Amino acid sequence: MPEGVLGVFAEPAQAAGAVRSLRAAGHEVRAAMPAPYPAVMAALARPSSPLGFYTLAGALLGGAAGLALTVGTSLDWPLIVGGKPIVSMPAFLVVVFEAMVLVGAAVNSLALVGLGVRGRRRRRVPEDPRFSRDRIGVFVPGAAVGAEDILHGGGAEEVRRVAA
Amino acid sequence: MDAGAIQDRVQAALAPPRLGYYVLLLGAAAAAAVGAWSWSLIIRNGMQLTGLNRPVSWGVFITDFVFWVGIAHSGTLISAILFLFRARFRTAVYRTAEAMTVFAVMTAGLFPVIHLGRPWLFYWLFPYPNQRGLWVNFRSPLVWDVFAVSTYLVVSATFLLAGLVPDAAALRDGARGWRHRLYALVAMGWGGTDEEWRHHERAYLFFAGFATPLVISVHSVVSWDFAVSVVPGWHSTLFPPYFVAGAILSGVAMVITLLIPLRRALGLSELITARHLDMLARVVLLTSLIVTFSYALEFALAFRGPPRAERATLLYRAAGDYAPLFWIMVASNCVAPLFFFSERARRSTGTLLAICLLVNVGMWLERFVIVVTSLAHGRVPFDWHLYRPRLVEVGITLGSFGWFFFWLLLFLKLMPAVSIAELKEEAAHA
Repeated sequence: MPEGVLGVFAEPAQAAGAVRSLRAAGHEVRAAMPAPYPAVMAALARPSSPLGFYTLAGALLGGAAGLALTVGTSLDWPLIVGGKPIVSMPAFLVVVFEAMVLVGAAVNSLALVGLGVRGRRRRRVPEDPRFSRDRIGVFVPGAAVGAEDILHGGGAEEVRRVAA
Repeated sequence: MDAGAIQDRVQAALAPPRLGYYVLLLGAAAAAAVGAWSWSLIIRNGMQLTGLNRPVSWGVFITDFVFWVGIAHSGTLISAILFLFRARFRTAVYRTAEAMTVFAVMTAGLFPVIHLGRPWLFYWLFPYPNQRGLWVNFRSPLVWDVFAVSTYLVVSATFLLAGLVPDAAALRDGARGWRHRLYALVAMGWGGTDEEWRHHERAYLFFAGFATPLVISVHSVVSWDFAVSVVPGWHSTLFPPYFVAGAILSGVAMVITLLIPLRRALGLSELITARHLDMLARVVLLTSLIVTFSYALEFALAFRGPPRAERATLLYRAAGDYAPLFWIMVASNCVAPLFFFSERARRSTGTLLAICLLVNVGMWLERFVIVVTSLAHGRVPFDWHLYRPRLVEVGITLGSFGWFFFWLLLFLKLMPAVSIAELKEEAAHA
């Protein structure tokens, strides 16, 4: 379990206020909550997720694979069907699009799992079943001098120091 | 309602089921067994047991395929398209619609395989290296279908799973025994940290971004199975938008048909309210108007210019052997939804259910009318032939409903029928 100070909040607005105050005081702040409350997420001011780069790469890879599959197999077995050219791009674009979506969505899922696991390990928050139910946990890792007062002042229902 | 109360309400819906649930589940399993038995008859005796003939080589199986793909459209519409448009009313209804999508695609995917007649050769549909050096014909819409429907199944199942992860984590923390293990498996270690939510929100947006053009492409591809041919009554550029609107109409009508009994049976009336059903009824009304316009446009295009085969085919639809089915279709898909102009009709669960059931019947008939009348009444009179579905086709159709409802009923007692996390977020806004 990570060491630091944990505050438990019932209201997203109060949690967001406490997060802003803690960040203004120079603390690193983490949170755990049952839903992505926009106020809390905005107060944490985390950079946007890099997941899009992986997804874009996956989509491009899928599109390229779809193109290679349709063109490559048609050239490998060059039979004219219905008077259409061997490489019939308008017809192949359907398969290219589907392959792009398929691989893009698959990479999107893998990136979600991978980044989620990495994030959970790097920015750990003490586990508490209340954080998946109806409470918001605001956690300040390390010595966190003065964090307890800020959390109390922000309306936390409970503030405790967590030992490693 | 606060976050804790929302969770309690959804958890209560997952309580051990009563006798009625088991009766329904057994009924669905029995219907699926009838379908499996009917299919086994075809496997053992051949397609001669069906009513298919020359020239009507596509019948109930293709009708069922298009019908179930259409039903599958509502889930993505409600979860992805309405998500991108930030339509808040989707929150309480999209999970059921998404689950319905996955099970409907699983059902639809069976029919091309059944229709093959020799289902053990289904893998010929996929491009794989083989010693004969043959590849599938990528210029054929039937091969596009394989890619479109498989992609749709994978993407809609992943989309459903991505939304389930935080909810499974919420349920995991209050569950015991095998349910705890099941939810822990689906939750994949979810801790609800800001870091996880940051990536989850982004991924969900991309899923919606992928699913939106995908849903339009899938039913367009299904329509091209017909439109790319030169058969009168099929060969039309109108087909893709016409099919997409029809798919949304049938899918949303099916969602309403399921939600009305479901919210009562699972005690979710406070979460899935009359307002949600009202908004869905408006979608039914809108898509019904688009479908009505498409029906009219199809006739207008056929009657423009000198007489052509299309005109004869469409006249045959409206006044020929299958005319009663055509007019039931028009009454169900074009006339009945007009009642939704009235707020009273949209707010009355009895009226909603009756009209949506009619639309379900009407949309199945629409596909039957399109598939069969065009083939039965082609360009040359000597080749006109009637088609009547036989008992095995009726059995397999019944079995498809059993198969669909069996999975849906299981899902509703294992996983939350509404999105817990999104409802909690909504509650915080209220």
